[in-house]
Amino acid sequence: MYIIKNALRSLSRAKGRNILIGIIALVIAVSSCLGLSIRQAAESAKQTALDGLSVTATISFDRAGTIGDIAKQGEPGSGNFDFSAFSEQMGETSALTLSEYLTYAACESVDNYYYTLTAYVNGTDGFSPVSDSESTGESSSTGGTFSGGGDSGGGNYGGVGGFGGGGMFGDVTTGDFTVVGYSSDLAMTDIISGNTQIQDGGAVFEEGTENYDCIISSELATTNGLAVGDTVLVCNPSAESETYTLTVVGIYASQSANDFSRSVFGTSQDPANEIYVSAAALQKMLDASAAVSTSTTDSSTGRTVESKMVGTLNFTYTFEDVKGYEAFEEEARTAGLSDSYVITSSDLSAYEESLSPLETLSNLAKWFLIIILAIGGVILVVLNIFNVRERKYEVGVLTAMGMKKWKVAAQFTCEILVITMIAVILGAGIGAVSSVPVTNALLQTQLTSADNKQAQIDESFGRGGNMGGGKMPGGAGGFSGGDFDTSNIPDNLPSDVSGGGFNMFDNMKDTMNDVKSKTVDYVTEVDSAMNLTVALEMILVGFFLTLVSSAASVLFIMRYDPLKILANRD
Amino acid sequence: MEEILQNQTANEAGENFPIPVLSLHHISFAYDKTPVLKDLSFDFEKGKMYCIIGKSGAGKTTLLSLLSGLASPNTGDILFEGQSISKTDKYVFRSRDIGVVFQSFNLITKYTALENVVLSMDISGVKIADKKARAMALLQSVGLDEDEANRRVLLLSGGQQQRVAIARALSYNPSIILADEPTGNLDRETQGEIMEIFKGLANEGKCVILVSHSAEVAAMCDVRYELQKIQRKK
Repeated sequence: MYIIKNALRSLSRAKGRNILIGIIALVIAVSSCLGLSIRQAAESAKQTALDGLSVTATISFDRAGTIGDIAKQGEPGSGNFDFSAFSEQMGETSALTLSEYLTYAACESVDNYYYTLTAYVNGTDGFSPVSDSESTGESSSTGGTFSGGGDSGGGNYGGVGGFGGGGMFGDVTTGDFTVVGYSSDLAMTDIISGNTQIQDGGAVFEEGTENYDCIISSELATTNGLAVGDTVLVCNPSAESETYTLTVVGIYASQSANDFSRSVFGTSQDPANEIYVSAAALQKMLDASAAVSTSTTDSSTGRTVESKMVGTLNFTYTFEDVKGYEAFEEEARTAGLSDSYVITSSDLSAYEESLSPLETLSNLAKWFLIIILAIGGVILVVLNIFNVRERKYEVGVLTAMGMKKWKVAAQFTCEILVITMIAVILGAGIGAVSSVPVTNALLQTQLTSADNKQAQIDESFGRGGNMGGGKMPGGAGGFSGGDFDTSNIPDNLPSDVSGGGFNMFDNMKDTMNDVKSKTVDYVTEVDSAMNLTVALEMILVGFFLTLVSSAASVLFIMRYDPLKILANRD
Repeated sequence: MEEILQNQTANEAGENFPIPVLSLHHISFAYDKTPVLKDLSFDFEKGKMYCIIGKSGAGKTTLLSLLSGLASPNTGDILFEGQSISKTDKYVFRSRDIGVVFQSFNLITKYTALENVVLSMDISGVKIADKKARAMALLQSVGLDEDEANRRVLLLSGGQQQRVAIARALSYNPSIILADEPTGNLDRETQGEIMEIFKGLANEGKCVILVSHSAEVAAMCDVRYELQKIQRKK
């Protein structure tokens, strides 16, 4: 007990020296607090984002992996790339059927699922698409006419040479309208997110109904003078005599209806020309189309093309949390999912991306903390060596009086501990006040850096943020017309309801969307950084500094011989 | 040929306390290879005041260091109440059984006189009900008033510091008091007062051992041991 009393007395009797040590310890404590707070903020933000994250995942064909495997045998464009093997692989494994998707949906980890079915239809005389003057290319016509020669809104897209100069799309049939069939309300993500709102009609169609009920955009309704209750006649783009009558049960307004960028690929890609139906109704339509389908053979290529409408299936699984998503991979593989497919989650990717500036900051904070503790520790050690040498005589007197050396060392350690803990408390206080603004300021620096990087990438791609005026390099892709022999594409490419594996049009649309604006919702601000964990870590830092700095003192004290000290004094 | 001369002059005092509290048995001590003390054998009894005299360099302070347990003899043994101090905890011996008044006092200068005395009691571990009161009483018994007792040691005169050192040595009531040149820096009047204090302690039954080169101090003691410098051959 007297050791502590003595330590406190010594502290009060040597203020100058102790204040100096205290200032050093305070600087270390504040720096440590900031470093720890930043790390804690990153961890908290991560956890908060994770808690609120609804994880969804899709299964898609592993194109990159397949191309990579085949490319090992020969690079695309080199003349050695085996496109027939590639095409065969794509044809064999790309199409997951609805029943297969549903098999994997039965996995225990899956919380829920939904899907959309997409097909293209043409209008008839009484029903025409919203047509933007800048988006009227020949792509809206039938028979695989995505020729690449159209004027794409004044922007220089360089044709579609990069994707094979038109040859690649020879058999892709588009239309005036995109019909999207939703499996359930859950699938209508645009409505859930609020991007799209039902303006008229009161409610969306009944879930699972096979009725040809549809919801059209307000623009489409205005263009054709339609109202709820009216009917519209659409036809198969490949067989105009094959018609279907849809009843308008609702009219929606969408924020993305003004997004003309997609319309460069045809009127069907104009958001205003999207027609919403139930997935069951669209399936019924596709089944009906398949039933009356006819085949024609191209005399030049020898390929057989069927007239039936083809749907594209996009199946999404939802999970309660990330653990569920992680477990799904193993469960799906066990249920028979081939290695040719990959399971990906755009939510998780976006989540990880959104935290990247904070993660970078957290990493920097970790190194900052290590450096501060190392340098601060060395400074404290040196100061304490000076301290104990200065107090050599006191050590001599105390030990001569019969105070054991370890008790003297304990007294000195106690003094350092008191100074360090006071510094830690003050440092934690200062850190608590300043950590949030400092963290946010540093985070802004990171975000600015990320923005600059993105701007640089945009500049390199020549986008400048405006698709219309931007330039899409033509013929830059690996699949040049000459390299890709379309005759090698098997005739049995997804001819029924297929998975999203080989719908180049949709893929290109997605790519365009990605290219247009790769926006990530970064975590831009933290609310709180200091918490109990940081406080406890600060105490540990205090003990660490005490141990390190007092270690030298203890060594000196244990080596001192009182007789020599007192004899030298005399 | 090295030689040491030891003269013992005993007076009649201390006959009532014949049992030696501290004994030196043929001790020798050398700093590195320089011999300082050789084959010394003394006995110290309670109730007597001893004086170890000798010229500078004769080894008086070295002998005091050996007696206080701060140094160990190269040969021979020192017995405290019949037990070799080499086999006991020297820290306990120094803090409980022997009180040392150093030549330069060796007080903690940043503490007050009172704090120095209380600290000494703390270190000894001896259970004393009211340490502050006892410390104050001791300081007053050696001639310091309350104001002086609460003053930092650095602000006290040499004589006052000497008194503080004596009070500190007495604080845990040891049976032996060792004092190195206790009157060395004091005026004649203060010298007399200090010597009276030591005499009183001896009369109380303590064994008081003074190290001095002063003939006056030696004359006041009951027993005198004279150390002679070892003559080294060239």
